[in-house]
Amino acid sequence: MNDFDVIVIGAGHAGCEAAWAAARMGCRVGICTISMDTVALMPCNPAVGGTAKGHLVREIDALGGLMGRAIDATGIQFKMLNRSRGPAVWSPRAQADKRRYGAWVRDALTACPNVTWLINRAGRIAQHDGRLTGLVFEDGSAVSCRALVVTTGTFLNGLVHIGDEQSPSGRAGEPPTQALAESLRALGLEMGRLKTGTPPRLDRRSIDFTRFPEERGDDPIVPFSFLSSRIEREQICCHLIHTTAELHDLVRSNIGRSPLYNGQIAGIGPRYCPSLEDKVMRFPDKDRHQIFLEPEGLDVDEIYVNGLSMSLPRDVQDTIVRALPGLEHARVLRHAYAVEYDFVQPTELTRALEVKALPGLFLAGQINGTSGYEEAAAQGLVAGINAAQRVKGRAPIVIGRDEAYVGILVDDLVTRGCLEPYRMFTSRAEHRLRLRIDNADVRMTPIGRDIGLVDDEHWRVFEARRARLDRNLAAAWTTKVTVQNEGTTAAQALSRPSVTLEELRAQGFELDVDEARADVDEATVTAEFKYRGYLKRHDAQVARARADEGRAIPGDFSYRAIPGLSREIVERLTQIRPGTIGQAARVPGVTPAAVAIVAARVSRHVPGV
Amino acid sequence: MFSTSDTIVAIATAPGRGGIGVVRLSGPASRDIASAILRREEPLVPRMATFGRVVDLDADRQRAIDEVVVTFFPAPHSYTTEDVVEIAGHGSPVLLERMVQLAIARGARLANPGEFTFRAYVNGRIDLVQAEAVADLVDAVTPLQARAAMDQLEGTLTTALTAIDAALFDLAARLEASLDFPDEGFHFVTREDVRADIDQQRQALVRLRQDGRAGRLLREGSLVVISGRPNAGKSSLFNALAGASRAIVTDIPGTTRDVLTERVDLLGIPITLVDTAGLRDATDAIEAEGVARARQAQEIAALTLVVIDQSEPFAGALDLDGPVVVVLSKSDLPCAIPLEVIAAWPARPMAVSTKTGDGLRALRDQIVATLGARDDWRDVPAISNVRHLAQIDQALEAFDRIDAAIQSGASEELVLAEMVEAREALEAITGHKTPDDVLRHIFERFCIGK
Repeated sequence: MNDFDVIVIGAGHAGCEAAWAAARMGCRVGICTISMDTVALMPCNPAVGGTAKGHLVREIDALGGLMGRAIDATGIQFKMLNRSRGPAVWSPRAQADKRRYGAWVRDALTACPNVTWLINRAGRIAQHDGRLTGLVFEDGSAVSCRALVVTTGTFLNGLVHIGDEQSPSGRAGEPPTQALAESLRALGLEMGRLKTGTPPRLDRRSIDFTRFPEERGDDPIVPFSFLSSRIEREQICCHLIHTTAELHDLVRSNIGRSPLYNGQIAGIGPRYCPSLEDKVMRFPDKDRHQIFLEPEGLDVDEIYVNGLSMSLPRDVQDTIVRALPGLEHARVLRHAYAVEYDFVQPTELTRALEVKALPGLFLAGQINGTSGYEEAAAQGLVAGINAAQRVKGRAPIVIGRDEAYVGILVDDLVTRGCLEPYRMFTSRAEHRLRLRIDNADVRMTPIGRDIGLVDDEHWRVFEARRARLDRNLAAAWTTKVTVQNEGTTAAQALSRPSVTLEELRAQGFELDVDEARADVDEATVTAEFKYRGYLKRHDAQVARARADEGRAIPGDFSYRAIPGLSREIVERLTQIRPGTIGQAARVPGVTPAAVAIVAARVSRHVPGV
Repeated sequence: MFSTSDTIVAIATAPGRGGIGVVRLSGPASRDIASAILRREEPLVPRMATFGRVVDLDADRQRAIDEVVVTFFPAPHSYTTEDVVEIAGHGSPVLLERMVQLAIARGARLANPGEFTFRAYVNGRIDLVQAEAVADLVDAVTPLQARAAMDQLEGTLTTALTAIDAALFDLAARLEASLDFPDEGFHFVTREDVRADIDQQRQALVRLRQDGRAGRLLREGSLVVISGRPNAGKSSLFNALAGASRAIVTDIPGTTRDVLTERVDLLGIPITLVDTAGLRDATDAIEAEGVARARQAQEIAALTLVVIDQSEPFAGALDLDGPVVVVLSKSDLPCAIPLEVIAAWPARPMAVSTKTGDGLRALRDQIVATLGARDDWRDVPAISNVRHLAQIDQALEAFDRIDAAIQSGASEELVLAEMVEAREALEAITGHKTPDDVLRHIFERFCIGK
């Protein structure tokens, strides 16, 4: 008998979701972390959600994951982004009380009877005859398991840069892991190097906030989780300031001391999170950039300086911070830094996030080249679910691109690989008008229920909500209203962009809503009719895409045997091993004609030949 | 996806006048589509060549446009192993094109270059050695690359469409940015921008559709450019071939200051005839512009007629580039060029007198024969303007919906959803762009993120 069914290395956002999912699905789970103080830590921005990321959180929640409930329990400023646009792009975002967030997740896992904490340093992946057998710690002790989920974040050969100071660390002050990086490399996995960074933290007591405009959150609050009702908690405000020409000059005159610009850093950073150096050097025409001062909690003194990530030396950072109007006396509690780390090219993985070269080994989070807590958590959930599926001898769960952002995330990673840290955007979703935050439960909860991740209470809430939705959609077609002096149904009226639910309510269109959470019921009805014309027309397109996704390519299918495919295409397809014709079509460099040839060959394929 | 399940159509025979021309249909609906465009008493019988008339249902009166012989090859005993119908008509390219258009109107899709052969290959009918031409097609990542690889001569709408596609792409990227980066503190695009940009690109497409040309020179049909020294007789030749006195003919060198074009049906093949300003060092600004345009015209010409006045001495070497027919003009006058000079030219010249009409008929034949070596519209690796026009039509349909969405005040995500089809139609020519391309474009243009 194995010590554990599933072992998870790392207790960040990916690791916690993975451990939670596998445990809730009935597996005996060991979760390995260096310290209980850094569980579900937010080492960068103390916030959850944002465009597309908020969608991921709703989907994680609907599947039965932790993140949505954790942020609802500990959020200190909530905002629904893109409110002025249509419901498909509304995205929740919230500032977290960083300390309380980590504690909430740690307590949730600790309360889970199947979870055991392993406070130790992971060393090596153990295998026997090409079969995963367990994990060996750095101290030489070992545990056996049937599935292993590796979520090491930035710790694989992590190297922190502050000016010319370099220290091997996964995060500033925390030792990295070299042994695990070696162990992965020994499997023959293709690996690369990425870079990310974080801004300085300032002492709240050294800042005169009265000089800055306040940025407040929404009131009332729209929660992340489908299981949350009203959130009534003390909320904080953030402050907006701007960089100045003088500050830009400081960056320019010290640019030679930035590891990003003097060649000290080789890893590739995210373009959507430019360092201060990049902002100044790459966009010299822009005379100022936004900086947000964000408290890291209700009762801590650390202020996160959103927009000021850099890798300049400490003395330059001090000067730069104090050059900001209103921050003349600011004390830097922790300096900004850049960190370089190893990642595994995710094309090494199946759509279950399982390493093709070693079944039973799963990778999730930054180790797969992504950035962001939400992206990490979503992968952790997928990896945890599939680790449990493997343990139970069941088929992997693959979520489609037309079903969820989670599906897009995984498909993009394993099909296209990463050249820079991958972040989710709504523009990556070809079925964006379907994949909304309001219907994440309709899309995901039945899946979560099927695999045993959604408990009875969650399912009861969902069934009630689905019944309300059905009643509301039906009522919209039978309720007569008058808009612009024209008699019509509520359904047809709602499909006009200018007509709101409020107007129709005044005319007697009664919605059946959960009083504690009216937002979800209302949003789904609005969206279904606002987008109805478009969605109806695109049903055929979705059906076509599904047909291609439904045409499986056997695992033993040989591309080398097909004449007419170029060597590059054969190599690419052999490496990626797409699971379906649809996925094959998305592999970079594979031409439509090549896909047609593969499709024709697959339909004549005899397994094992 | 490169579908292999729908019905495709194209002209299957070599171009040129005379003999017969065959329009081929392949796919499950071949028989139905053929029946719909044919007026016939009897249903089609497998492998029997039978008589019929092709009817132009779109014409004012449903008139028969050609008498044809039709053969139906049921699957799997056909070239592609699918149901195939071959319609043999009288070879006029104009009529063959019309038949293809009629088939498209009844649900067929214009075959991609080499697609009949491709299907034969995919369906196991032939091996790749036989289908040599397919290899390039399979390797070409974008249609644009396919174009470049296979067809460099043709003057098409590619350039104009690429510009429209780029503008649309930029607009889409700005709209995407406004959705994905809502709290950057500035507007990537305003509602008015969207409306103006869409309007502008739509008009550009409508213009392209209306006269089927890009800019001034790129017209549908092969571009035949008349060039030569000042007063060599270019305008006279232009008039003789065009059959009308459009160009001003004088004895003063440099009279033709602009580029004159005329659509001419030359023995059944549509061409656009271009008279260029004399290629000499221009003495005034207007003429200089004319000369510049002339050079431009030559660069994209399918064929250049190099006119040399044989009544004047000609000493220099003759440098010819691309498909060229050399015309010795004024053959009614005594020849002033030594025979050994002419013999050293890389191409045999054709003597023509526009005054007497001598040699004009032979020149027309020669032009058609030279153009006939080209391969548009056929089941060979070439892409013709017809494809571009089909894509423009598709894009314009999508633009109607984009317009409707904007007019009704729909928000960005819905406008973007409606833009997808228009972009897909254009990207079929200019090459597919991924969400990563959109993001790259955004990050290059804007400083985004914290």
